[in-house]
Amino acid sequence: MSDLLKSARLRRSGTFLLPALLLCALPFYLDAFWLRIGLFSMAAAIGAVGLGLLSGTAGQLSLGHAFFLAVGAYGYVWLAGEPGPGLPPALAAGLAVLLAGAAGGLFSPVAGRVKGIYLGVATLALVFLGHHVLLTAESVTGGFNGRSVPPLELGGFTFAESDPELTVLGVPFGAEERLWYLGLALFALTWFTARGVLRGRPGRALAALRDSETAASVMGVPVARYRSAAFVVSSMYAGLAGVLLALSFRRVVPDYFSLLLSVDYLAMIVIGGLGSVAGATAGAVFVTALPLLMTRYADQLPLVATPGSGDGSLGPTEASRYLYGAAIVVILLYAPDGLHGLARRIRARLRGRPSATGLPGPAPSSATTETTATTARAKEHTP
Amino acid sequence: MTTRTTAPPALEVRNVTVRFAGLVALDDVSFTVAPGTVHAVIGPNGAGKSTCFNVLSGLYRPAVGTVRLGDTELTRLAPHKIAALGVARTFQNIVTTQGTVADNLMLGRHALSRAGFAASALRLPHAVREQRAHLAKARQIAELTGLGGHFESPVALLSYGDRKRVELARALCLEPRVLLLDEPVAGMNAAERVRMTEVVREIRAELGLSLVLVEHDMGLVMRLADEVTVLDFGKAIAHGTPDEVRRDPEVLRAYLGTGTTGEEAA
Repeated sequence: MSDLLKSARLRRSGTFLLPALLLCALPFYLDAFWLRIGLFSMAAAIGAVGLGLLSGTAGQLSLGHAFFLAVGAYGYVWLAGEPGPGLPPALAAGLAVLLAGAAGGLFSPVAGRVKGIYLGVATLALVFLGHHVLLTAESVTGGFNGRSVPPLELGGFTFAESDPELTVLGVPFGAEERLWYLGLALFALTWFTARGVLRGRPGRALAALRDSETAASVMGVPVARYRSAAFVVSSMYAGLAGVLLALSFRRVVPDYFSLLLSVDYLAMIVIGGLGSVAGATAGAVFVTALPLLMTRYADQLPLVATPGSGDGSLGPTEASRYLYGAAIVVILLYAPDGLHGLARRIRARLRGRPSATGLPGPAPSSATTETTATTARAKEHTP
Repeated sequence: MTTRTTAPPALEVRNVTVRFAGLVALDDVSFTVAPGTVHAVIGPNGAGKSTCFNVLSGLYRPAVGTVRLGDTELTRLAPHKIAALGVARTFQNIVTTQGTVADNLMLGRHALSRAGFAASALRLPHAVREQRAHLAKARQIAELTGLGGHFESPVALLSYGDRKRVELARALCLEPRVLLLDEPVAGMNAAERVRMTEVVREIRAELGLSLVLVEHDMGLVMRLADEVTVLDFGKAIAHGTPDEVRRDPEVLRAYLGTGTTGEEAA
């Protein structure tokens, strides 16, 4: 039995270790374009995991995610930059995350009381408010043209082109390569913490709130407190994503943090599958990488104009919006549990009957039972 | 890990009135659940039994009257605070959450555990230890209620009777001093009823808690209850032991009708 357990643990750590090694090796083979796609995807994944916690697990819709991304991004730029307090960048990054959390906390009187789709409408206001402030508070945000982002510095090591010059195994390490590893580390941190929350006591309480507020409250879950806590935690992940985005873009501009960005994040978690960390990641990669890839390969794609040609046909960004709009429709129709659920079902089918799980006896198979369970859902009880 | 060992205090309902826009759902209802007893609340459909439970668990606030558990007044407390005092309940129509039986039972341990967002996110040792301890306890309660074989199964796949039992087990996970059961055997077949009755009897014998029972199955009520309160149109029309209530002419008129309906003989 202990051998069996050991091999199961080995297999499980293998499924994490292999992709991790692969991701660490990528900067040695890919050029800056691909690394940048990866960086944006990682940042988006961090934000999407946060939104997934709020919308997927706690069942609270938020259209204000772009606002908290902006708080993180601009918070970092202002705290680390000039004009601004000019703090050490690493400290500024940490404070920016806390700042985003505090902004979420300020909104918690609303976030704790308003439920589901109504919260979505309430948070809509945040995006417009945020955008207005970004445009007008020029001394802090730099106004319409935004501000350039001071590079991150950790103990004398700068995440930029030089200082110090760095060549690893014959590959010159520029900003993208360095930021790639920073992104990986932050992403791993996000993955680790979000899973801890989801599988622990708070995650269960949030899921219970989503399924039945009544059941959750009579089982001892303080409804308002958990709703606002989910909002704060989600804002902190958004803030972290904002910091990483700012570092990767090297310039922050107000127009990026529009309502469209919030919608993008919602698309990520719907495509990926609500309520799972892996799903949010997959959705984030899909939604982030698609427009960038389509821009790059616009000349080879039918019906898509190269950017800047301006002959009235479909630009790559619009084309990719259509594509992922279509993807959302297809997923809602045929795989309501998103890419994550789809992957799980395929895996279950490949595995066939439960014998592969290695469990003796007539234990109910998790592989086959899980798939049907996700489509059935307990009904809300109104007393 | 916290465990409640003290004997349950008395649950006192005093002059409770609940109105819904002109409709009086509960009209000046009073009764007392003596520590460690089984108290049944019966009455025809619409008599106010579930409303009464919703007042006890804090989901409704009465317009007039008080509910006290020992020295604590429950009437002004939020549902989660009442749960933390050790009052657990089940619902008439099953209200489980998505996920496995284990997930549901662990929700029942919520009030007894501490790990917050930060501790769970960082998987601090005490949070991990706590989770493990509570999972063991939840498994034990699953065994007690006959759900041991389904511990890892998704609730949505269980039979109706088993899902009713998940609700009961989840309430027990709260380690309640007062357990409110809203129609625990409604919709069950004969075999499931017998098993459920056994489980309730065992719980009572082993855990020494107070039980408040809303039930239509008169057989179950007569077998389990120490005391019965009869509601009719929101009014408490009779109190007493099952035998006394059975002979009360007011009850016969209002609830049992002519006393010849076969379904209630059970």
